[in-house]
Amino acid sequence: MSEEKLINEDSFTFYKVDDSVSEVISAPEYSYWKSVFKTFFSSKIAIIMLIIVAAVLLMSFIHPMISGYDNQDMSNINNPSEWFLRPSLKHPFGTDDVGRDLFDMVWAGARTSLFIAIMATVITTVIGTIVGMFWGFSKKVDIVMIEVYNIISNIPFTLIVMIISFTLKAGIWQLIFALSCTSWISTAYFIRVQVMIIRDREYNLASRTLGSSTTKIIFHNILPYLISVLVTSISRDVPHFISYEVFLSFIGVGLTERVASLGRIVQTNAKYMQSAPYMFVLPVFVTALISISLYIVGQTLADASDPRNHMI
Amino acid sequence: MEKNIILSVKDLEVKFKVRDRELTAIRNVSLDFEEGKVVAIVGESGSGKSVFTKTFTGMLDINGRISNGEIYFEGKDISKITDDKDWEQIRGKKIATVFQDPMTSLNPVRTIGYQISEVIIKHQGKSKEEAKQIAIELMEKVGIKDAANRYDEYPFMYSGGMRQRIVIAIALACRPKILICDEPTTALDVTIQAQIIELIKELAKEYEFTTIYITHDLGVVANVADIVAVMYAGQIVEYGLVEEIFYNPQHPYTWGLLSSLPQLGEKGDELFAIKGTPPSLFQEIKGDGFAPRSEYSMKIDFELEPPMFKVSDTHYAKTWLLDPRAPKVEKPKTIQNLHEKMLALTSKGGVYSDRDK
Amino acid sequence: MTETNREVLLDVKNLEVTFTNNRKKFRAVKDVSFQIYKGETFALVGESGSGKTTIGRAIIGLNETSDGDIIYKGKKINCKLSKEESKEMTRNIQMIFQDPAASLNERATISYCIAEGLDNYKLYKDETERQQKIDAALESVGLLPEHKSRYPHEFSGGQRQRVGVARAMVMEPEFIVADEPISALDVSIRAQVLNLMNKFKIERGLTYLFIAHDLSVVRYFSDRIAVINKGRIVEIAPTEDLFAYPLHPYTRSLLQSVPMPDPRIEKNKELIVYDESKRDLSGEKPKLREIVKDHYVFMNDREKAEYEVQLQKMIEERKQLKVG
Repeated sequence: MSEEKLINEDSFTFYKVDDSVSEVISAPEYSYWKSVFKTFFSSKIAIIMLIIVAAVLLMSFIHPMISGYDNQDMSNINNPSEWFLRPSLKHPFGTDDVGRDLFDMVWAGARTSLFIAIMATVITTVIGTIVGMFWGFSKKVDIVMIEVYNIISNIPFTLIVMIISFTLKAGIWQLIFALSCTSWISTAYFIRVQVMIIRDREYNLASRTLGSSTTKIIFHNILPYLISVLVTSISRDVPHFISYEVFLSFIGVGLTERVASLGRIVQTNAKYMQSAPYMFVLPVFVTALISISLYIVGQTLADASDPRNHMI
Repeated sequence: MEKNIILSVKDLEVKFKVRDRELTAIRNVSLDFEEGKVVAIVGESGSGKSVFTKTFTGMLDINGRISNGEIYFEGKDISKITDDKDWEQIRGKKIATVFQDPMTSLNPVRTIGYQISEVIIKHQGKSKEEAKQIAIELMEKVGIKDAANRYDEYPFMYSGGMRQRIVIAIALACRPKILICDEPTTALDVTIQAQIIELIKELAKEYEFTTIYITHDLGVVANVADIVAVMYAGQIVEYGLVEEIFYNPQHPYTWGLLSSLPQLGEKGDELFAIKGTPPSLFQEIKGDGFAPRSEYSMKIDFELEPPMFKVSDTHYAKTWLLDPRAPKVEKPKTIQNLHEKMLALTSKGGVYSDRDK
Repeated sequence: MTETNREVLLDVKNLEVTFTNNRKKFRAVKDVSFQIYKGETFALVGESGSGKTTIGRAIIGLNETSDGDIIYKGKKINCKLSKEESKEMTRNIQMIFQDPAASLNERATISYCIAEGLDNYKLYKDETERQQKIDAALESVGLLPEHKSRYPHEFSGGQRQRVGVARAMVMEPEFIVADEPISALDVSIRAQVLNLMNKFKIERGLTYLFIAHDLSVVRYFSDRIAVINKGRIVEIAPTEDLFAYPLHPYTRSLLQSVPMPDPRIEKNKELIVYDESKRDLSGEKPKLREIVKDHYVFMNDREKAEYEVQLQKMIEERKQLKVG
């Protein structure tokens, strides 16, 4: 037997090893963000969707600069030969009822809509997270905030947005304000619940016995644990705000004719659904593509940022 | 001697996929379970003791698989079962498990009674009325007073000990052949623990099932076990009757476990402690897995895996120390005359009597 | 009454802790009094829900008290403290938690975990001294400097608990509340952590409040034991006295339930179940009273008489045993 060969007289003598040997951790060093990216990129759909998101973002921020599209430029309004042109090489999405290039218009619109949605999401998330943190931590804040929450959440969101947009007149910043003015409270409420779940875990008590302040505990102990749920909430908010902009423009309380937005395009072109379907279908398709790709990327990233998914 | 083997494990190897690496959690374990006996599997977390018994009911985590070996139960190799339907014929029905945390086994939104009778209806084909009768009887059996009235209560209305009793009742509803108790009392208080252990022992007699007890508490082992298997780093390193393991242990790891019992410590003196940390699954194990922590390791321990040496007909240990060529080593002083030392503890004189002098 | 020249480090007087849940009040700790002397290990033993953890947390300031005093070195500490005072208390009183998996911040490196307390009060001159303190703390618990950049979940349970000990010790405290520091650990690891705590006790003259449910560990580790049941201390005695002459029925049932790691003893033992409803509770309201020097039992006059008879019997038996 080959094993027997390994045995010699020396084999059965005592042999001491350094105590610290068994303390060495042989698992490869762990890094949170590396694991997040690795998990994220292990999903093929996520990669495809990420490429789409990147393309959409690039298109909507670069294309309008090149095309120099102006929604109020109606130079072809008296030139019927440029109206209702079907998609072609010159006009990939065709032209509309006053001869504007729909391709240029859609990307300019996407820029506005994305800008509104992203700004509203950022405001909602930042305010919501900060308020939610203290809300979840302090009993006194909780007593006040829960009443505020009850009042606001009992008024329909659409009604609030409509009233604000009517009183403030139409405009991009007004719309952003209207969208984020009350929606932060549901993010805050969501964060509050999460905070309450992990607030009393032993490691937070330990931090307190070591003299850590509430602010330090919030930023070092709680926030890192909420990355995953925050990404989930963001990935829901962006498409949500895009569709809200579309919806508001559709019912006529969103933006004015002065700027292009996906909502306005869909709204104005809806009446040509029968006669020139491309005018309606293509903008809707782009809107859907933006929402879905953003949502899937966000959800996959949320999963990837949950350390429980890093083991496999 | 004729032994009735109810479950037989041969050369079992279990692997897990973790962060792109295949790690071996169980390394060639063979073990026969004798019918009607209580086998205690002792080991620390990560030793593979839970993984080992999970293979008997097909409950390995999704990233784990049996990569080698066989498990024979009722003449069939159950390690090859892949279909969940086939597992349902065994899991819960013939081999039931009681887990550490009773809340994980109970559905919080269903009544206690519903959860017990559901199992009876499903596996024994009884009617609703009959099932309720049996369920109430079972609840009384596991020591729930006023069972008929508590039948419609929800798990949260029960205390931890009571919940564990219910889990046991559910496990017994199908009259299993084998009951796996995976640290059933670790989450419970000592006084409740003592009662649950007693209950399982009584029920084992009455229902005639074989018990596999997973624990790291040597006190519990001493109480319940007929046979003890000591696991370390995915292997069984020592196996024997309970008295053999406590009074005549052979493996340095078993020595270490017994020596570090706080009961054997003299106040003020240092307690014996096994050095270091058990190996993680990421660690490549060569030779004897315990060697880096052992005080008795020899050169060969780092090169070759020791075979199972026979100590007696019922007692085996996997250590090179039992090789005839190895130097003679006696077990540590601390655990010699273990029984006498423990006896002395139960009747050790207090300071009062000294004060009287 | 007791003439000891030992210095009282912590004095708990008539402590009461009340929790309010959905406007329902629940008294978790009722009229608890005990003293801990400097340099001793005082154990608080009881089952879950007995209030032992609540007492420990009240001492370290995590739970608010509803009545009574907690006096540390002659200063009341269960009230609003100034910034300077609470810094003093944080430095002097530290805690070791039960579950090492739950008590370390999973998203922080070991280096951060250990230095957390140091950073809060800037207990170092410069970065070099900070690193030195971290390294020394790691070394004192048998961990390696290379562990600093690792995350808690990469460690085994025993290693994590040693990190928990290290982060408390780095503050150089005088008094440690150890809340079941080993019950979540594997048997082979428990001894390591106990030895470590013992080492610090000797080296630094620490005083411990050791909260536990396992009497076998307490016997080895502590000097005096208080048994607590349902928020009330039922018996206090020096360790050996409590094991030799347990008087309160609850103490007896607790002693009985701990399984001995010896098959011959275990297989022949009979279980005593403590059931308060079956006890004779007649007579006036019981109080914690001294029965023999240093041995206190929660009792009234009638029970005192019974316990005295019982005690006499036990002492007789023990004498016989010694002679025989």
